[in-house]
Amino acid sequence: MNFDINTIVYILEIIVGGLLVGIGVHFVPVGGAPAAMAQATGIGTGTVQLAAGSGLTGLLAAGLMMSVTDNLWLILASGAVGAGIMIGSTMLTGSWIYAYAVGVPFASAKVTYDPITGLSQPPYIAPGTVGHGIPTVCFASGLIGGMMGGLGGAMIYYPLYLINGNAALSAMFAIGIFLVNAVIASWNIQGTIEGFHDPKFKKWPFAFRACAIASILLALASVLITGGA
Amino acid sequence: MDAFSMGLVAAMGALATVAGASEDIESDIGSQSNPNSQVQLAAQVGNPHRIYNKAVSGEPPANALWAATAAIVAYTLITAFQMPALLALVAGASVAALFNGVFAMSSYFGRNASQARFNQWIYLDIVRYTTPSIMAHAWITSFCIATISYIMVYMLPTPHPFPMPIIALIWGLAVGAIGSSVGDIHYGGEREFQNRQFGCGLNTMLSGQIVRKAEAGLRNSIDNAWFCTKFGGPATGMGFGLTVFLDNWRTAVFDPVTQASYAIAMGLFFIIVMVIYNNYIEKSLRRKYGPYPEYKGDVAA
Repeated sequence: MNFDINTIVYILEIIVGGLLVGIGVHFVPVGGAPAAMAQATGIGTGTVQLAAGSGLTGLLAAGLMMSVTDNLWLILASGAVGAGIMIGSTMLTGSWIYAYAVGVPFASAKVTYDPITGLSQPPYIAPGTVGHGIPTVCFASGLIGGMMGGLGGAMIYYPLYLINGNAALSAMFAIGIFLVNAVIASWNIQGTIEGFHDPKFKKWPFAFRACAIASILLALASVLITGGA
Repeated sequence: MDAFSMGLVAAMGALATVAGASEDIESDIGSQSNPNSQVQLAAQVGNPHRIYNKAVSGEPPANALWAATAAIVAYTLITAFQMPALLALVAGASVAALFNGVFAMSSYFGRNASQARFNQWIYLDIVRYTTPSIMAHAWITSFCIATISYIMVYMLPTPHPFPMPIIALIWGLAVGAIGSSVGDIHYGGEREFQNRQFGCGLNTMLSGQIVRKAEAGLRNSIDNAWFCTKFGGPATGMGFGLTVFLDNWRTAVFDPVTQASYAIAMGLFFIIVMVIYNNYIEKSLRRKYGPYPEYKGDVAA
């Protein structure tokens, strides 16, 4: 293969995509198993699981768009919106369960007032829990995170497809690079995070560095391997 | 947009709704995913139980495996053996259900055997009559997802460039993520802990104190499925159905070749509507439920 200026641009795009995924995971409000018992604020699942579910739905949308156009912005926007729809419907239907089956008001234990709506949180936290449900700030943060994941997935897929022209191969590599970055970020989060208002969010530079190193290695490998295919 | 492709998108939405519901009920019968932590803990804190315990893995990878297995078998039968699509999809889903049965049973035996020191028994009758219903629900999920992938690749006017198994893998991940974020709350947050006061999250002190008695006799996982079918399953179905339907509807109504920006703007519109709806739920809950009586501070606006 020719290692020219285009290849360097492709590698940079993959790295930026990986970093978007890594940082995006920090925005997704996941409470893990405690949230499934309405014991912690956020969505009741694991970080990687939800980020992968939404980001890869975005990858599907981006892949479809890329089969009909080569306009980078449309592909990226399509990926972000596809992921946003997935994470939005997940959080919305999750809210129904918190609201109408478990019967808890939405409250965050990390802030006294919701930074977006200004609603007070402590009176609505059930005793013995650290918040429950998905308040507006978590919902908005989750959308940002999911859309960054979709954007990142599309950003990884785009150069790979340009290199090898094989949608299946590019998609598999995109899924792999996506998962590596999501897992690294979730180690940094250590299980649960409520979104950009959570004090844990300040730890993102660690994940940024780790994801950058991983993405550089993965970008080099994927550009070389798929280039030879 | 033509009526045929709109009908296909509607069919995909319907299949996704069924897939989401059956996925959640499958995980509830087997106590997979997050609520499994409490089932696992129950025996350790002195509450041996008759609830199925199969945390094979997180729901998204598990369902991705089953959906991708179904799609790979169907794809092979369609392309290499020219089998009719419907039969091939049925065969694929059956293979996936067999995989699921093997995983579920080995997980049940392994987990409960490892808890023998806590007096947790392995109940062979539970294995005999619960495993088939887990497999049946996994069959429905993988059949629906493999069919959605088939429609996306072979039938829609703008065929998807990814091969069927990869699309099934991604939708399997998505349905698992939705099932574990939505339906599991109904099982973990409500059904497992019906012995505590309604309308509050699980107090940390009650961890592991799951309900073990049913209306008659001892509670088992089929009772849990009966309960979760009423709300958790359908809500998960709505979540996954909305994802598949809205995502494909905007590219079916607006041609992605000429009207791509409209399709994207439509997606953004849906997202904004969801934010507003969630905010409405949040405010109406505060109005209806009010603050917790145990709260000692001032109740600000």
